[in-house]
Amino acid sequence: MDLLGILSIGMIGVALAVFGLRNYKLAVSAYVVQALILVCIFLVLASTHEDAGALYSWAFIALITKVIFVPYILFRLLKKIDIKSEDEPITGFFVSPIIALGFSLATAMSLYPIYLKFSLIQEHIPLIAAITVFMLGIFGFILRKSAIKQILAFCTFENGIHLTLALTAYNSPGIVEIGILTDAIFAVIIMSILATRFYKYFGSVDVSKASNLKG
Amino acid sequence: MEFLLTAVLLVPIVVTLVLLFFKAEKKLLGVIHVAGSIFFSVLALILVSNVVEGDRYFAFDQLIFIDSLGGVFLTLIAVTGLLINIYAVKYMEWEVEKGELTQKDVKLFFVLSHIFIFTMTLSILANNMAVMWAAIEATTLSSVFMVALKKGKRSTESGWKYIVICSIGLAFALYATILLYGAGFSVIGDGHDAMLWTSLMDNAELIDADALKLIFVFALIGYGTKAGLAPTHTWLPDVHSEGPSPASAMLSAVLLKCAVLAIVRYYGIVGNSMVGFEYVQNLMLIISLITIFIAALFILRQHDVKRMFAYHSVEHIGIIAFGFGIGGPLGIFAALFHTLTHSLTKALAFCVSGNIIKIYGTRDMTKMGGLVKVAPATAVLFGIAICSLAGVPLLAIFASEFMMIEAGLSTGQYVAIALFIIGLAIVFIGIFSHFNDIMFGEPKGEILSGEVELSANLPLIALAGLVIIFGIFSVDSWMTLLSNATKIIVGI
Repeated sequence: MDLLGILSIGMIGVALAVFGLRNYKLAVSAYVVQALILVCIFLVLASTHEDAGALYSWAFIALITKVIFVPYILFRLLKKIDIKSEDEPITGFFVSPIIALGFSLATAMSLYPIYLKFSLIQEHIPLIAAITVFMLGIFGFILRKSAIKQILAFCTFENGIHLTLALTAYNSPGIVEIGILTDAIFAVIIMSILATRFYKYFGSVDVSKASNLKG
Repeated sequence: MEFLLTAVLLVPIVVTLVLLFFKAEKKLLGVIHVAGSIFFSVLALILVSNVVEGDRYFAFDQLIFIDSLGGVFLTLIAVTGLLINIYAVKYMEWEVEKGELTQKDVKLFFVLSHIFIFTMTLSILANNMAVMWAAIEATTLSSVFMVALKKGKRSTESGWKYIVICSIGLAFALYATILLYGAGFSVIGDGHDAMLWTSLMDNAELIDADALKLIFVFALIGYGTKAGLAPTHTWLPDVHSEGPSPASAMLSAVLLKCAVLAIVRYYGIVGNSMVGFEYVQNLMLIISLITIFIAALFILRQHDVKRMFAYHSVEHIGIIAFGFGIGGPLGIFAALFHTLTHSLTKALAFCVSGNIIKIYGTRDMTKMGGLVKVAPATAVLFGIAICSLAGVPLLAIFASEFMMIEAGLSTGQYVAIALFIIGLAIVFIGIFSHFNDIMFGEPKGEILSGEVELSANLPLIALAGLVIIFGIFSVDSWMTLLSNATKIIVGI
């Protein structure tokens, strides 16, 4: 297997760690690793594909925003709230990531042939990884009730989309990537403000504790 | 025209900056807020008047454009948005008097309103589909703190739900965007053009049919979440009921429609491709009927006046989707018409609920009563809103719903129409039982204040007037705009 394949599989593995790690600091650190792998994938793609030079700048922008800025926001959030680790989810720490991985891989395998038809970069494993990471993020959102974990899940599926974008549409106008990244950053900032408020009012970051609004 | 397109986008940003520049002093902020809104609306309406006959104009290397379809939705921001913004000034004064909000919060609200208007306008005018996606995601981001303006458990919970559920939904829409770009690029061969609605529409027939089917499902999940279609509508009742009334009105009357426009753009492309309209119509029909029935059942058991109206938003987005499900020029025309009639009515409904909450100090309908005696003007406005929502003849919503039923009958879709009418009947029963609770009898709880000032009611009277005008008359220029917009979708 080539370097690209190893990095892609590494990205799935780390996404699983972001999902599964109970300690918040470790989970955010795993996210940093994930973002770093994404940057490396961009660099490898840029150097191995002739007309994909745009991906060098993508790698640089991702390094600043995803490896440095977003984790900075998240570590600051962790400092503000006095909770070190996640409560046991209903589905269990071990079971829910496994279920999520199974479903995510299955979705990725069934969808990727359609993506591959139009993908500018014809690489199978990174494409499967991109969709898997995206779906892992979605499942993270649904299966985990911790606000912090939900923010991390958001960042995870955002990375999955970013990788898909790089593989299938690196030649799209620059404004596309700028628009998507700006939204992602603001979303993380706003979510962390709301998570801080949540902690202030509910004394917890477990969103299932909030049940004033029903019916 | 390029100048006008730019100006419409720039004005809300300039107003935002001006508002930020001034201190949170009471009078001046309101004046700037209203003046800015009026200026924006005038420009927007001039722009719309240029596309009534079916012309289209571009700016910024085709990134931004306006066609008749965009014109329909821009009208909503220009008309409904303006009246809501005017009402917001008085409403915010009440909140400050009650001590619920500070002057600083009010300033934040006004600032966010204009950023919100900018993002919605951008989503409507974007020809680049990724810019449209980014703008719609930005509508969520800019309106989160309009909804969660008050600090407390409930508003934090609703804010969290809002951003989380809409972000997940929109992630799917982004996937649809990327995939459509890929599929479009393989046909069009130019990275810039493959992102544009106009060139994708021109090349729709050549784009891979399998990919388009998947793309439409993703777009429907994504933008459908934001529009409030079932089963991912769950954020909507919480968010629309927890925010200040003008925010609820803006979200319901204008924002949901921006997401509808996004779905409609995909609907047009997929419909005009080798996939054909039948596929998109069937999907819309199923989703819309599920949405209408879920909303109808929840309306029956609501006691909270704003939650009730929020479920009405879900119902009416279902009705709009139903029009697209019926399809054909007539169904699409009716659905587009319904976006305006619902927008006007729902803005009125939420703003009146602001008055009612001020009068009774509660949102619980079982603690109200005797509104006719306590506040006659508010009662009449509330009556018009409720009757229009229920589909009483001579009011706006009846006009568009009737058109939809006609469209369905003319194409022989009897089962769908029958289910549709049953759904509306359930809502009709639900809404009038609540209507009686509020309007008649003796007040069951406290009454904090009498009729609100006329100045607060003026924008609502204007809304009510429009609800009646569109219910009785056929406004020529509007009908021409709608039929030209319909032609764009049908691909004539």
